[in-house]
Amino acid sequence: MAALPAIAARAEVIRHHRQQGGQVAAVLPVHAPRALLRAYGFLPVEVWGPPGVRTSDGASHLQPYVCSIVRNALSFLLSGGLDATDLILVPHACDSLQGLGSILLDFIKPRQPVVPLYFPRSDGAGAQRFLAEELRRLATRLGGISSRAPAADEILQYVVDEETGDRLLLELHEGRRQLPLTNADFYRLVRSREYLPREAFETAARQALAMRHPDSAPGKTLLLSGVVPEPTSLMAALDERQVQIVADDTLCGRRRVYPPGRSRDPFERLAQSWLSGPPDSTRGSSMAARSDYLVRQVAASGARGVVFYLVKFCEPELFYLPTLRKALQRKGVPSVVLEVDLNDALSQQMLTRLDALLEMIP
Amino acid sequence: MTGVSALGIDVGSATVKVVGVDDAGALCWDALEPAQARAEVQIARMVEDARRACDTLGGGKVSLIATGCGRGLVHQAVREVTEITCHARGVFREVGHGGTLVDVGGQDSKVIAIDPGGAVTDFAMNDKCAAGTGRFLENAARHLGVPLESLGHVALEAREEVRISSTCTVFAESEIVSLLAHGVAVEPIVRGIHRALILRLVAMIRSVGLVAPLMLSGGVVCNPAIGTMLAEETGQQVVLPRHPQLMGAYGAALIALEGR
Amino acid sequence: MNPAASLAYACNARVLGPAALRAARLHAEWQARGGAGRSPHLAPPLRIAPRCKEMVARHWLEGRYVQGVRKVAWVTSGAPVEFLTALGFYLLYPENHAAICGTARVAVDLAAAAEEAGYSRDLCSYVRTDLGSLFSGRTPVGRLPRPDLLLACTNICQTVLFWYRVLAEHFGVPLVIVDTPFVYGEEASPNSLRYVGTQIDEAIVVAEKVAGRALSARSFERVATRSRRATELWLEILQRNRHVPAPISAFDQFVLMAPIVELRGQAATVDLYAAMLCEVDERIRRGVASVREEKYRVLWDNLPIWFRLRAVAELLAERRIAVVASTYTNAWGELAPYLDTASPRESMIRAYTYPILNRGTGHKLHIMQGMIDDYHLDGVILHSDRSCKPYSLGQMDQRERLTGGLKRPALLLEADHNDMRCYADEQAATRLAAFAEMLEAQR
Repeated sequence: MAALPAIAARAEVIRHHRQQGGQVAAVLPVHAPRALLRAYGFLPVEVWGPPGVRTSDGASHLQPYVCSIVRNALSFLLSGGLDATDLILVPHACDSLQGLGSILLDFIKPRQPVVPLYFPRSDGAGAQRFLAEELRRLATRLGGISSRAPAADEILQYVVDEETGDRLLLELHEGRRQLPLTNADFYRLVRSREYLPREAFETAARQALAMRHPDSAPGKTLLLSGVVPEPTSLMAALDERQVQIVADDTLCGRRRVYPPGRSRDPFERLAQSWLSGPPDSTRGSSMAARSDYLVRQVAASGARGVVFYLVKFCEPELFYLPTLRKALQRKGVPSVVLEVDLNDALSQQMLTRLDALLEMIP
Repeated sequence: MTGVSALGIDVGSATVKVVGVDDAGALCWDALEPAQARAEVQIARMVEDARRACDTLGGGKVSLIATGCGRGLVHQAVREVTEITCHARGVFREVGHGGTLVDVGGQDSKVIAIDPGGAVTDFAMNDKCAAGTGRFLENAARHLGVPLESLGHVALEAREEVRISSTCTVFAESEIVSLLAHGVAVEPIVRGIHRALILRLVAMIRSVGLVAPLMLSGGVVCNPAIGTMLAEETGQQVVLPRHPQLMGAYGAALIALEGR
Repeated sequence: MNPAASLAYACNARVLGPAALRAARLHAEWQARGGAGRSPHLAPPLRIAPRCKEMVARHWLEGRYVQGVRKVAWVTSGAPVEFLTALGFYLLYPENHAAICGTARVAVDLAAAAEEAGYSRDLCSYVRTDLGSLFSGRTPVGRLPRPDLLLACTNICQTVLFWYRVLAEHFGVPLVIVDTPFVYGEEASPNSLRYVGTQIDEAIVVAEKVAGRALSARSFERVATRSRRATELWLEILQRNRHVPAPISAFDQFVLMAPIVELRGQAATVDLYAAMLCEVDERIRRGVASVREEKYRVLWDNLPIWFRLRAVAELLAERRIAVVASTYTNAWGELAPYLDTASPRESMIRAYTYPILNRGTGHKLHIMQGMIDDYHLDGVILHSDRSCKPYSLGQMDQRERLTGGLKRPALLLEADHNDMRCYADEQAATRLAAFAEMLEAQR
């Protein structure tokens, strides 16, 4: 295994950006317009939880059946974890994030403006127009908060530039087998896009891609689906067992690698790009779209098994599970479900499930 | 008596089991103890005992494979293998056919699909809540004041049965307390508790897909009500190996034998 | 149309079945005269209750035989259905079916069948009940007709989006999604309204194709008019509870609301609620109270606990607590002002964008505050429903505002609308008793 190119730490990146007079946007899961935030001078920093937060603050606002991503995010905010941010963007990814956005707006009212963003679920022709218009409205709002007014051309340039990041991310995912990186390092790299400035991520991605060599033959191979590769103890456990994740279908991962848009209007282009992304639970893709895609990914990557790494109570993911597992079973691909809370270490029982899956792979 | 050629140890939450097999893979030595708090000390002692027995039986230095939820504590083992694979291996060797294996342990239960060649094709485990496990019965026994050993007999002899709707251990306890407070007799509650456990197991069986025959292993299946009521609920005959509690350790020993 | 199916339909759903149901209703009416079977603390049910029950039973009976006779659409409880009714569709509400299963206490057994198929226990218990019914073929209503069309509207939750994706996969029939962007602030944006409008237009095209005929403007208007009238009547019935003592309990409303949900565009529904309103008025004139010794008046937030409907009603009535209003039953009345029959399409866009579940948590607090004043309420029970996140999230802050600013005792009651396994009688009883003591101390 090779060493990962140097990647700046999140806190350091935020500090640097602020020192240069930039503003920071805390971005909740799942789909968010990174390019648009950048165009208005914001550094988008995603908040998937984070794990290991003291959750008592959030517990006085959210019932116990709300997932730990949402609970941790609120606890993190209430304990001052987002103090260095100037805006909180809450995409409408599920009923729980809907509730969180609403509670923030109506009851908690943090110092930073809270901006919700609705993602359309209709299959119809109106979805793209709606989304483009929502993004246009968001831009107006961002203009108000940042006192910047980039021209349409300028915004378009940001959108087009961000597509380079998407392309590099795609290359990293598709070239995973040739990358001499541990699972932990691979995910550290791809997830650095959640907070790095565009150029910094591109540099890191290019450096990693330059390390590719064809002979890196992994041992047992898996596809990782689910929400987010947290707790990261799973990565450590896989590395310890010399198992490589050769394909990704996580919400925070490959499902957000969008193909480029075509329009010359920046908002239309973003909407086009988003709506043609990989099938995804939070977008309400059809069962067939998701299972066909997953089966194709398994075949293309040569993964021998699938791990569904779920955050407990994640309704969108849970709904697809039976259909996906059945489709995999028909293809003779074993799979296992590991359901976790972001704040818990991977339990012995979860490791047993993982090991049993690995023992099923010849 | 033939010599011990390989050893398997199954470190469970309730008991620790060690099994030795001969060259042909027949079970020829075993030990079983309740699990102690200082697990590593206990494991070291039991492994030492087993090794001594091997010497006595003329086996010499043999390889050891560890399984069970405490398998990581067995530093003497050459390798760790999950209890899923081990139980499947042990039972397959013992009964000679595939099917659906239900293993009910102290804190984990699992349902394992075994193909005709003995390979594991799918499995399910209980979720975090302890409802489908031995712990569920243990807690109920304590509240009801029935010794754990006679719990199964009480269930089978009960003429009536009350429905315990909660399968969450905490809620079920509160239900038991309230039933007792309302003067309901102990026996129907005991039967109801078994039913709740069985239904939880049946749900796991169906989620994997039942392929006959149904086989049982694990310490809890020494409780006669489990097999009887599981057969009743699924309409399937239930196959019980000779030493259901030792199947994990036996499977581990068989794998150790293959790896010699 | 299949002649054998038509004959069976004519005999069973039009003649024999209705006759049997009528006989059952007459029997129930006769029995009710004796006032049998109710707690001494509660008024007898409305005289019209057996008629309401008969209507609903007839609807499900028709469902048993409707296959091959009428086109069938399965729809979500908040879906825009007026054009489907106008196109002659038989409408089946899986949520109502699940609630029937919950009330009949067969939901857990059915849910088990879905859980066995891999659907997690953390999913909505309505979904598990219905999928379990589908997979096992068991239902307390006899038989569910296969859908020709599925219509899911996201104005109640995202859950229905996934649920109907499963149904679409299972049945292999067209699924129309009407996606209604969540209204975070005061108003929906023109962009959202236009988006919903486009989808309703698209839905009509698909429905026409499945129905094999075009939507006539006249019948669309006629159905919309009836929908509006029934909705207005329902709201009036609910608002009669502003009277002290309240004539009709929210627990009775939970049962009497079935037609406004599933039969809203029909003439008989308008007649039913008109007659119901008369009877409620008569109760007020005669001084009949739903809880005989009504002393405390409270609000119920969220879905009912279907499997303990009566037990909770009696427990509260014993402590002289009347549940006189609920945000849930109100949800089917409060949209009446949006329904403008002159332009059914435009009014549908607003009516189906603005249900309480599609609006913010602050809006719900605002609605509850209004109800506290209008209905002279002493406290609030917030059912924290494990199976309904959109309804339940925000309740902890709402409770805090209600108890803090408004000084009204508010109880957060942990339960589930259909899954008995998530409910402990003793614990719930203790909490309700403590709540009652708080109300008593307040006075």
